[in-house]
Amino acid sequence: MPQIITEQNLRSLIDLLVKEAKLVVGPKLSGSVVLYEPLTAGSDLTLDALPRRSSKELFFPICEDILSYKRENGAMKVADVDRSKFPETVLIGPPPCDAGSPAILDAVMSWDYKDEFYLERRRKSTIVGIACTKGDDACFCRAVGLAPDAEAGSDLFLTPLKDGSYSCKAVTEKGEALVAAHLNLFAEGAGAEPVPFVDQAVEKLDLVKIKKWLEEHFEDPLWEKIADICVGCGACAFICPACHCFDINDEGSTDDGVRRKHWDACGFSKFTNHASGHNPRDVQNKRYRNRIMHKFKYYDDKFGKTLCTGCGRCIRACPVGIDIADILAQINRG
Amino acid sequence: MNAKANKNQVTSIEPAYYQAITEAIRKEAVQILKDETVVGVVGYLPGRRKGTASPALVTTVEEAEKLIFSPACVNNLSVYLTKAKKGVLKQGKVGIVAKGCDMRALAGLMTESQLQREDLFIIGVVCPGVYGFGVERTGTLTEANIARKCRECTVHMPEGSDVAAGTHTELADLTPEEAEEMARIEAMPQAERWAFWKEHFSRCIRCMACRQVCPFCYCEQCLCDKNRPQAVESSPRPAGNMAWHLVRAMHLAGRCGGCAECERVCPMDIPLNLLNRRMAQELKELYDFEAGLTPVEKGPLNEYKENDDQSFIK
Ligand code: SF4
Ligand code: SF4
Ligand code: SF4
Ligand code: SF4
Ligand code: SF4
Ligand code: SF4
Repeated sequence: MPQIITEQNLRSLIDLLVKEAKLVVGPKLSGSVVLYEPLTAGSDLTLDALPRRSSKELFFPICEDILSYKRENGAMKVADVDRSKFPETVLIGPPPCDAGSPAILDAVMSWDYKDEFYLERRRKSTIVGIACTKGDDACFCRAVGLAPDAEAGSDLFLTPLKDGSYSCKAVTEKGEALVAAHLNLFAEGAGAEPVPFVDQAVEKLDLVKIKKWLEEHFEDPLWEKIADICVGCGACAFICPACHCFDINDEGSTDDGVRRKHWDACGFSKFTNHASGHNPRDVQNKRYRNRIMHKFKYYDDKFGKTLCTGCGRCIRACPVGIDIADILAQINRG
Repeated sequence: MNAKANKNQVTSIEPAYYQAITEAIRKEAVQILKDETVVGVVGYLPGRRKGTASPALVTTVEEAEKLIFSPACVNNLSVYLTKAKKGVLKQGKVGIVAKGCDMRALAGLMTESQLQREDLFIIGVVCPGVYGFGVERTGTLTEANIARKCRECTVHMPEGSDVAAGTHTELADLTPEEAEEMARIEAMPQAERWAFWKEHFSRCIRCMACRQVCPFCYCEQCLCDKNRPQAVESSPRPAGNMAWHLVRAMHLAGRCGGCAECERVCPMDIPLNLLNRRMAQELKELYDFEAGLTPVEKGPLNEYKENDDQSFIK
């Protein structure tokens, strides 16, 4: 029997979790934009807009210290970050295109090198995804194999019902534990009708066919056509739930400083610049090609997954209107 | 100004107005490609999504016949003519579709010897305005969906173009939202103003979209990308963000033509044009100079005069 939670109780759940000293993160209005931010009360939760940046930053922050160093009496002392201090976290409110991103990224983060910063945060987090009933003409989650009601990545999955409450499904043990610990906020029952999903404009993509095309078209006029107008910024990668490239910089002085890891993007001209001055991706079309290849071929080759959840953020944000769904659809049509 | 007296003020600009400009652009573009005046035309093509458009470099008559102009044609295309995009345009004269505010960038780039007038065929657009962000894109431009910069536009007429498409029509009764916002910030006590910008800059993710779309950010080595030694912290944190924004504002002072592209593309909604306008105001007060009105020999910050005010040297 599915569980039901009213909107009011969902907000009370947030209040309770905050009281339990958990870090509760969810969509919240920050100035004129909605972002995933720490919630201090249930009333902070804003569910009427897709946050401008994805929820990946909960596990893979925009910028984080990875060590600090200081020269003392001639000797260099290096201090690690105490990851055991990372808080227990509950992420509430990501739609499937955000909730699904850790399910994709776990593979690369725990591959040959284990990114303990990411993994520690993942271990300590519970994700409460919510089925998406908003959506606009940039969304194409269905086309890449997700859906507005896809549970992938969520520990507990909520579906909005017409009477304003949510039906809940525990997808993992973490989700079950969250419900079990706050059982009084949930009710048994079938609940009202679910709120219908919005239709999506992009046709279903044949990802196998697209990958095959990419394999055969490392060189293709398409890349130049797109790169002609791409200005090489980081907007598309930074707001993407699946992009995960980072740069590492030592900041401070030679005697006292911090090593920081922060987001990077393959669209930048310096991304592949070697110390020698040689740059293998010396022109924009090689950079944009990498974006598509990485998402729809290389990541699949290595991990058997597509590096895109179809959230449409890059389409909405691209300064020059480059539309990845349209590009994929063109390739798909052959 | 007599342009004001002559202008035709209306409450909405209908799709037919943009359609007429579209026809005129197509006709010109086809003509100059056919007679080989230019090797290509930088213009706009419609996007997949309703009410969107994107920049395009067209080199054939068939493509030129698909060019459009609509309120979705927000981009300042002059960015495609600069060094930052070198290699995109083949050698030879190019055509470019330019609104009045884009013309200011072209004039500024000529001032900075980045462009030669004779290498361009400018299809000017007599522009009533374009969409703001996050507005309803119905095809009709109204007070409700016009961009903030367009509310105070003084360059609807594209001065100095080879041809101009459209007739002078403007929306009536537009409140100058940006000027009002500037006055509000100006009136704040310093600490409050500092807090205002700190809050905005804290959201900056250093995606550099603002730099990449700016026609004047054409430096081959941006100071903010330098890491040996590092000039500005490249990590998106308060200190580096503040430094980046100061660098950006200062480097564009006296050069920025006010196209507000940097602000439009910011995925974090940081009101960058307020800074641009504040710097422009300084230049106006100090040197009686406005960037991009016409190409000049040198901008005031590139020129030394014996009688320059030196009272700031202590
Ligand atoms: S590539 Fe674009 S649509 Fe796909 S997940 Fe990233 S931002 Fe979303
Ligand atoms: S698409 Fe580019 S920025 Fe995104 S993860 Fe791949 S290489 Fe990095
Ligand atoms: S956001 Fe657009 S312009 Fe910027 S790098 Fe991505 S595709 Fe290119
Ligand atoms: S500022 Fe003026 S010329 Fe530029 S888009 Fe707006 S109305 Fe058109
Ligand atoms: S576009 Fe906005 S978020 Fe990106 S670097 Fe510029 S100010 Fe920062
Ligand atoms: S600083 Fe902004 S407003 Fe000024 S020219 Fe550059 S993009 Fe346009």
